[in-house]
Amino acid sequence: MAAENASTGLSVNESATITLPSDREIRLVRVFNAPRHLVFEAWTKPEHVKHWWDPSGRPLSTCEIDLRPGGTFRFVNSTPQGPGHAFTGTYREITPPGRLVFGSPAPGGADSLGILEFEERAGQTTLTLTMTAPSRKVRDAMLEMRIDAGTARTLDNLGEYLAKKSQSR
Amino acid sequence: MAINSNPDPLSTTFAALADPTRRAILARLALGEADVSELMKPFKLTQPTISKHLKVLEGAGLVARGRASQRRPRMLIAAPLKDLDLWLEPYRRFWEGKFANLDKYLTHLQETKKTHSKEKTDGRRKR
Repeated sequence: MAAENASTGLSVNESATITLPSDREIRLVRVFNAPRHLVFEAWTKPEHVKHWWDPSGRPLSTCEIDLRPGGTFRFVNSTPQGPGHAFTGTYREITPPGRLVFGSPAPGGADSLGILEFEERAGQTTLTLTMTAPSRKVRDAMLEMRIDAGTARTLDNLGEYLAKKSQSR
Repeated sequence: MAINSNPDPLSTTFAALADPTRRAILARLALGEADVSELMKPFKLTQPTISKHLKVLEGAGLVARGRASQRRPRMLIAAPLKDLDLWLEPYRRFWEGKFANLDKYLTHLQETKKTHSKEKTDGRRKR
């Protein structure tokens, strides 16, 4: 167990592995049972992204993709109370079916860079997602922010509840 | 084991791991203890370079040296790695939630495609 931990950096017991290749990076690697042109499409066509982005299984309330360098994307989760958490960014590099690069706002204002690399072997695709933050501080903040991801929905709901309350006064 | 007085041990662990040679040294030590000359061989690095990396790893509490024999073999201390793993787990799970969903969706897509092409070769029997 320790051997695997030390060689990869970290977790290897579950499907996606996570490592910290440098002070500013986070890398996730995951294998999919599909050819890479399909995995690439699943990341770049709204009619696909819409159906898998939200782990709750609900289709996105908004899914906009302007697939060209400088074009933007916007994925908004849906909650029973309305639109939820939004993931937005700008495409920087689009090279189907092997590579997709985007910038996305990180804590603190500056963009973090997301690089998606799709490699195919024997009909399976290895996806490597590398997020590079503008600084180590921001990288660490990105990691810690996700700790609260589970409670984000709850906070959204609370926000709406409070908004309604203040209106009814 | 090693008492770490650093106020932010996780940062020290990160810094120590943010180097491929140091990660490789840890991987080697995970297989069993080794002294500096044993560590030099696979990495083709000079002794001062290896010692410099070992110093960083020792400072982060990831490596300890045995005192018994003269060659002072280094050994891996796994505890800081476990702490780091615990810290990263929620982020990994956040993405794995999406990945698992994508995995299911891709399977569904491929099955739908297969059914469609089968329908065509079957002479549109189902329509």
